[in-house]
Amino acid sequence: MSYIEVNNLVKDYKINVKKRGILGSMQSLLIPEYKMIRAVDDISFSIKKGEMVGFIGPNGAGKSTTVKMLTGILMPTSGNIITGGLSPHSDRKKNAARIGAVFGQRTQLWWDLPAEDTFDLLRYVYKMPEKKFKANMETFNELLGLNEFISKPVRQLSLGQRMRADIAASLIHDPEIVFFDEPTIGLDVVAKQKVRDFVRHMNKEKNITMLFTTHDMGDIEKTCDRMLIIDKGKIIYDGTPDDIKKKYAKYRTLIIDFVEKQSGIEIPGVEVCEDKGNKVQFRFIKDEVSAQELISSLTKKYEISDFTLQEADIENVIREIYEGGIKCDENLCGVC
Amino acid sequence: MRTYVEFAKKAIQNNIVYRVNSYAGIINTIVMIFVNIAIWRAIYEEEATLEGLQFRLVITYIVLSFLMQSIFVMDEYLIQYKVRSGSISTDMLRPISFLGYVFSHNIGVMLFRIIIQLTPALLVAIFFVKILPPFSPLIALYFAISVLLGYLVLYSINLVVWLTSFWYFEIFSFITIKDAAVMILSGALLPIWFMPNWLYNLVQITPFGSIYSVPISIYLGQLPETEIYTKILLQIIWIIVFQVIGRLLWHCAQKRIVVQGG
Amino acid sequence: MDKQKMFTIPELTKLFFVHTKLIAKTTLEYKFHRSLISVAIFCREMISIVTMYLIMIRFVSIKGWDMNEMLFLYSFLFISYSLFVFVFAGIRDFDAMVQSGELDRFLLRPLGLIYQVIASRADFSATLGHGAVGVILLIKTAGSVGIEWNLRNTLAYIAVILGGTVIQASLFMVSSCFSFWTVNTTNLRNLVFFNARRFAAYPLSFYPGVIRYLLIFLLPFAFVNYFPSLYFLNKPEVSILGGWIPYLTPVVGAVLFFLVYTFWKFGLKHYSSVGN
Repeated sequence: MSYIEVNNLVKDYKINVKKRGILGSMQSLLIPEYKMIRAVDDISFSIKKGEMVGFIGPNGAGKSTTVKMLTGILMPTSGNIITGGLSPHSDRKKNAARIGAVFGQRTQLWWDLPAEDTFDLLRYVYKMPEKKFKANMETFNELLGLNEFISKPVRQLSLGQRMRADIAASLIHDPEIVFFDEPTIGLDVVAKQKVRDFVRHMNKEKNITMLFTTHDMGDIEKTCDRMLIIDKGKIIYDGTPDDIKKKYAKYRTLIIDFVEKQSGIEIPGVEVCEDKGNKVQFRFIKDEVSAQELISSLTKKYEISDFTLQEADIENVIREIYEGGIKCDENLCGVC
Repeated sequence: MRTYVEFAKKAIQNNIVYRVNSYAGIINTIVMIFVNIAIWRAIYEEEATLEGLQFRLVITYIVLSFLMQSIFVMDEYLIQYKVRSGSISTDMLRPISFLGYVFSHNIGVMLFRIIIQLTPALLVAIFFVKILPPFSPLIALYFAISVLLGYLVLYSINLVVWLTSFWYFEIFSFITIKDAAVMILSGALLPIWFMPNWLYNLVQITPFGSIYSVPISIYLGQLPETEIYTKILLQIIWIIVFQVIGRLLWHCAQKRIVVQGG
Repeated sequence: MDKQKMFTIPELTKLFFVHTKLIAKTTLEYKFHRSLISVAIFCREMISIVTMYLIMIRFVSIKGWDMNEMLFLYSFLFISYSLFVFVFAGIRDFDAMVQSGELDRFLLRPLGLIYQVIASRADFSATLGHGAVGVILLIKTAGSVGIEWNLRNTLAYIAVILGGTVIQASLFMVSSCFSFWTVNTTNLRNLVFFNARRFAAYPLSFYPGVIRYLLIFLLPFAFVNYFPSLYFLNKPEVSILGGWIPYLTPVVGAVLFFLVYTFWKFGLKHYSSVGN
């Protein structure tokens, strides 16, 4: 059963056109000019309870506008949204009681006070019974190690600590759905891992529906079962992160370490993309050239000390999609 | 030089961007002038001397003070912003004088004020309030020079206050206390001849009097010619004094940046 | 479930004070800095007091108002403003909340927007700075302007201060409503509020008719200090309406707040269709 149901969602903006130069700014001072922009262009999708969905797309593609409409901050121009039986905008307060939101770049914690003060405040904001509140704090402390830093002013915390506290603050009231906006931005590898593990754990444990908007493909690959790519206000891909790799990652890269320096190796269908003497990178289309045959033909001719085979990186695939290098396949994107 | 002109132009442009602010600023000045005229009218109505020279002198004094205040507006938080954001370090790497940059930026702010706010306010002042004309063309010239010097006195005092940004993170309080001192001790609020003696003397001996009361007294022809020269000389002295203090502070600040890396 | 999620008045009050406690804690984190700001605000506000004082020692009485009466009239503005920045500082800082995205955060919480805006701020420094000016003026004048501080007058005084606070909050809210449309409204607010407040520093009778009407009907500062002062100082003008005058202030405050709140809701509707 779907928890979020979005139908023919459209959002238009009127923006003020600014001109350059002194004369230009004088002109827009006296006669402002406006232009209509369609940020979200007739999109529909549905999300099941407990699903983990990643929203990706280049800046200005319409993903944050979509999220703002899903959370009830913005009202759609047309189309409708139902989350758990409510309209997020017209039932804002009721809806807000059961959603959580994490913004990687903006904390909801009181900057000059220890995080525990914010938690205390949130207890009243969400009208939590004391027992429930204590139990949740206990869980978060166990999983995120909050106690180490919960009584230090937030401004003194490391980014990783702050993020952990922020995520806990967004989940304290047992929301049914949580929105994450760049939850791992600026974090180091270890901190990222902690955040991702925690998020997965909470999803399994409490069946919380989670939506991520992020530029970090790692977040999506490690946490999401499903990925929506939005570009120019439209959904251009809806499927699993794995599928997109299988379908669009045409190239593989083979890196060979030769014992001796080699030059001028030519194999049909294989492109040498980097040649550092001993170390050579070959790129080939995986459906046309078999990696095994390539390796065996190379070992026959040359002495090889080591090799690595790389699958195409999802990040590259996504970049190519943004740049228009890959056209979406009708069969894969049911909603295109 | 060209670079500094560009800084000034940039400051003008930044000000124009805020449309609502620009319109409101004009009305702000005009309202201020009207409130004060109403108060002084109430006072002189009682003495039944509204048509008298005394009343017109007071009005002219007040209006000139507000007109000057409306253009003596500076970007008080520029240096604090530069220090707090850390962009001061990159500014110092550029082949320009930082203090020169601050000055040209503020000249830009003043030019913007002159274009957008002074002109309409001046028209209102001349046609509706009927302020007295300057005593003579020569006096007008002295007045113009003295206004310019008044601006520089205020700028130099401000610079000293702004430079405290290097030692204290938020200089709102310093700026506000300085403003209070300037307003009360510069004769900007009411004609100095109404002040009790002790305050009158304070205005004369502190640098603040050089900002507003000197140019206005010159305009009203209340100073004999020799005294105009001494007052203008006094303005120049105050500029030098505060510029020297400012440079010294800036010197210390630079050392601080080098040691602490901004 | 719905019933459980509704907030009762005691719950909202409790939550309001939880906020206030946190704000106080934050303020105490920067004791020196915040005290310095109080001193600065005190000095700034003294500018206009000094002007009034200087004029009054020179001219003694203007249109039947002497120095103490004039300062008493002025004291209302400071005391009610002090209360305003304590309770309604959020309305004053609304512009910044829109820009920083704090408003969006409020929209994600199960509480009314205006409630959160008001509860989330209290400016202790300004409360102290303005409060000090107001209290000094009141102490200086309360005994010397011939007011009998009996129960009736004390109650009337409290009603006037509370009403005056709400009137000023409403006026601030008008300008903060514009934040839903344009970003920078500082000067616009100065125009609406601080200029009107400047007028209100002196008796209304000093001004030409247009400004009087303006301060009675459009920006009703007349109810914050002028009309109440007429009553407390037993001015001849008071005989027409008599003892009811002080209670007009809270009534005007309530009506004005209701009107502005309608405008606020309209602005919010616009915001939710355009965003930041």
